[in-house]
Amino acid sequence: MILGLTFASFVSTSVDRREQQREEIRLQELLATVERTAQIACYLNDSKLAAEIAHGLISNRTVSGVSITSGATVLSRVGNTAAVQADPSRRSVIARQVYSPFDAHDSVGEIVLFVDRAKIHAAASNYSRAASLAMGLQVALVAIGVAIAVYFFTTRPIRAVTTELHRIRFDSGTRLSVPASNRSDEIGTLVADVNALIASLADLLTTERELRISHEVGERKLRLIVEKAETGLFVLDQRGVLESWNPAFIRLLHLTPPQLPQSGVTPLQELLPSDAVRLSQLISQCLSTGQSYDLDIEMAMGENARTGWIEVTLNPIGPTALQGVLNDITERKQSELHAQVLASQDTLTGLLNRRGLDVRLGAVFSLLPAGSALQLALLQIDLDHFKEVNDAYGHEGGDRVLRHVAKILERNARRGDLIARPGGDEFVIVLIGITDRFKAEQIAKAVIADIQQPIDIGGQYAHIGASVGIAFTSEEGDSPESLVRRADSAMYSAKKAGRGQVHFAPDCVPSQANAVA
Amino acid sequence: MRSIVSAWTRTRICLQVLFALAMALSGPAARAQTLVVIVNPSIGVQHLTRREALDIFLGRYRTFPSGVSALPLDLDVNSAERRLFYLLLAHKDPADMSSYWARLTFSGKISPPFAVTDARMAVDIVANNPNAIAYADRSIVDNRVRIALELTP
Repeated sequence: MILGLTFASFVSTSVDRREQQREEIRLQELLATVERTAQIACYLNDSKLAAEIAHGLISNRTVSGVSITSGATVLSRVGNTAAVQADPSRRSVIARQVYSPFDAHDSVGEIVLFVDRAKIHAAASNYSRAASLAMGLQVALVAIGVAIAVYFFTTRPIRAVTTELHRIRFDSGTRLSVPASNRSDEIGTLVADVNALIASLADLLTTERELRISHEVGERKLRLIVEKAETGLFVLDQRGVLESWNPAFIRLLHLTPPQLPQSGVTPLQELLPSDAVRLSQLISQCLSTGQSYDLDIEMAMGENARTGWIEVTLNPIGPTALQGVLNDITERKQSELHAQVLASQDTLTGLLNRRGLDVRLGAVFSLLPAGSALQLALLQIDLDHFKEVNDAYGHEGGDRVLRHVAKILERNARRGDLIARPGGDEFVIVLIGITDRFKAEQIAKAVIADIQQPIDIGGQYAHIGASVGIAFTSEEGDSPESLVRRADSAMYSAKKAGRGQVHFAPDCVPSQANAVA
Repeated sequence: MRSIVSAWTRTRICLQVLFALAMALSGPAARAQTLVVIVNPSIGVQHLTRREALDIFLGRYRTFPSGVSALPLDLDVNSAERRLFYLLLAHKDPADMSSYWARLTFSGKISPPFAVTDARMAVDIVANNPNAIAYADRSIVDNRVRIALELTP
């Protein structure tokens, strides 16, 4: 609209100026029309003819005055010719020399038109006003036409499509309908594109829904697995505080309702107080290396205080969190223990074998406080005449004899002492915590005396004896090997001395106890 | 524009002069080509310029330059002399001339010169009338009149 008005005013100004120029040209032409007659009038000083011309000219609405002169003589003067100088801006003068009709160089007079600029301007204004009005009307019509066209061909179909789009549900498979008149234009293309978009969106939604369902199913499965697992599963933070756990966790730890952990509050260490320090070490080890570690923990299993074993495995799952696995390994531990026992036992007599003796003796040695004196005594017992028994009654007889000897040793040894058959017909008793050498000798002699009794081997009696060598732990730098060696050599010396005797290892022979039975 | 028009006018006039001459030369008698303006010797006019003659014949002044009243005489409107005279004097053809006079008839103030039917009559009138002025072919002019102007093509 503003553009239209600006344009109209521009048009008005230019029309005004052009109209003035045109009027000027028109007047010049008018003068040219009457020129011949004017030439004659001036040539002949014919004021009547001049008056005729002047009246003809002044009948023009823009001409306010006409003056025709021949030299100094005024042939005719009509209209307002006086106010020429009074207001030069409103009036202007068009003067034209008049030449003789017979000599183009002979000036015979002058014709002057007094033009009323105001009238020209008014005429021009009228004209330009009309032109502006027409143009404004045209602009308005075009604008209305464009508005109507835009409404019918663009706005209305777009609004229809938009309304439909508002109502559409992407999952119902509905599509936008293309307005009939826009099937082949941009709006039709737009609707087709939107439909394609909706279709792909619907596909995406379906896929997404299916994915979500399968994800939910998977999650439920996983949760079920976790819930029903025999393995205890749990999550810890870097301090050991429990965040979550499954029922097996509670079950494996035999927790009663008052002991149940609180998520985010109770640390694992509190549930296993006896191993709290080791658990804290395990956590920090796990977090600092980023690797999995496990720990076997012995614990009381519930009310009946049966001892069992659990294995705690920790896997780091970030700088401040760990995932834990808890397994009951009691059975495994027991079978391990059983295997250990089997490995260290003599199957014939139930005593320790050589390996069992080495292990237990080593363990006992390690427990000896440094600087303590005379705490262990090792009795090396070797049977006499056993070979004859074996020859006479076979291996079965020999075995019965060995089992009998074992019982004798068990009877004579004290609780807690180690009794072993390292091999063949040799036996060992380790007296633990003995302070009296004499007592050791007494035990040795009692053993020899018992062995010398006839042994019933199924209706027959075997007669054997035994020689014993005794070694005591020395005050400093002693070792199990040295102890065994010394006892062994004492035993050999007893055998050489004629069997059935007790000999002490030479480095620590007690003077008063050297008596031999 | 103006110069083109006047150039065309000049060309047209030249052609018409030639045409008039051809007409005159093709006449039965071998007439002289020169037209002359004649006056009564008693009027005291020795010589007239072409312009002075023009002003008198075209009605601008009805006096001789000396102020004495002048009575111009024309020849018959269809005569060859008249045609040639105005061509030479005013560079106007008969159509222009009749248009010129037609414009003046309604003002009533000026009327065309009185026309005589024969050139000899014109010479006689000039010879007998001191104020008369006329034109004629030089060949028929005698010494009763004075030649004030010679018009040669």
